[in-house]
Amino acid sequence: MRSIPRYMKNALVLFCLAAFSTDMAAQGSMDFMRSIGKIYVVVAVLVIIFLGFIYYLISIDKRLKKLEKQQTNE
Amino acid sequence: MKKKNRFVGLMQASWWKILGAVLVLYAIIVGMLTPLKPGLTSITPLHIDAGTQETIVIEGYNTHFTDATRVWFKYDDNHAISATDITVLASNQLSVNLSVPASIPVQKKNIPLNLIIDSPDDGPSVMPSALFLRARTDSEVGGHEWNAVISDIHESQGFKFPYRNILNETIRNTFYHVPLWFSMFILLFFSVYFSILYLRNGDLDDDIIASSLIRISVLYGVLGLLTGSMWARFTWGTFWTNDVKLNMAAVAMLIYVAYLILRSSINDVDRKAKMSSGYAIFAFVALVPLVMIIPRLTASLHPGNGGNPAIGAEDMENTMRMIFYPGIIGFTLIGMWMTSQLIREERMKLNQIENDLD
Repeated sequence: MRSIPRYMKNALVLFCLAAFSTDMAAQGSMDFMRSIGKIYVVVAVLVIIFLGFIYYLISIDKRLKKLEKQQTNE
Repeated sequence: MKKKNRFVGLMQASWWKILGAVLVLYAIIVGMLTPLKPGLTSITPLHIDAGTQETIVIEGYNTHFTDATRVWFKYDDNHAISATDITVLASNQLSVNLSVPASIPVQKKNIPLNLIIDSPDDGPSVMPSALFLRARTDSEVGGHEWNAVISDIHESQGFKFPYRNILNETIRNTFYHVPLWFSMFILLFFSVYFSILYLRNGDLDDDIIASSLIRISVLYGVLGLLTGSMWARFTWGTFWTNDVKLNMAAVAMLIYVAYLILRSSINDVDRKAKMSSGYAIFAFVALVPLVMIIPRLTASLHPGNGGNPAIGAEDMENTMRMIFYPGIIGFTLIGMWMTSQLIREERMKLNQIENDLD
């Protein structure tokens, strides 16, 4: 039915997203991340959590829309 | 469905969702805005010789050095010398003169001295083993020059988080990275409860709740791994170390990812529910020793190794607890909120299947 299970896609996208942002932050500038007592590390952590939550909410939203459409069609 | 009414009622109520959002917001705002206590970051030179005059430059973080600032170098409670000619170069930079006595406090070649600075605004700051005193071959032991008295220490003012070297401002991650794991544990604990409930009563709704809880827990766990990895990069130096807690947490997450794979591989609804409920119970039984026990038995970079509680007095101060505990409750409630959305989705699907069968 489904070629790739949904949660696998979720996990994959989530991982890529976070790995990408982490990588960007690391490559961008070590000095930047270490400035002002490494406060941007905390910012990066908050951004990762925020992106993770938003991604999950969007994915739930999408699936619910699909279900609602199916039910109204019946 | 009668016994479910209170859960349904609680799920539809919105006060706890708002409470969760408020608590997380509180943890973010207060956790980010509260300043750190002053700390000492660097000192030059690192070595001084007995019986010489030295000019020492000290740098701090978040400090407010003034002319009233006093500086001592202390070996132990009975041996200390005080620095003179304190010049404030900046609010975080001091230059002091130190006439190093020819005598030494203890018979050793290299004697570590702790730096103690007291300022009216900041209170005391300490840098352990800040510099080393090199003894001369003819140095006497226990001279009377070492009898400086450290007294009239000011008290630190205001609500502040502790300053730790290496961690610096990232000590705030305690309010975001750690509660993710605590919330994951709480959610997984509930998942065990609902799994047992399913195995006892065979109500598919229990299985839906349990599996939804685990899906959100996996999200939390993955976010916990990623945020921890980020934190490790700038404190321990790499994204991933061979720390026991890291590896065990990763193994625990893989166990729960396997749960999701197991669920998706079975098409029959009842069989799926039965097998995954049993698996969920054993997965939690495996999780507790993996994350809570094994890292405590060996050396770990995380706080809480060697048998001490991770949130004991040495690792966390009361100011931090005031953000940390609300943060745990907040993240748990947000997790339950997200879980409730998954539960609604799964119930709709189950209804659809039942309708199709009719």
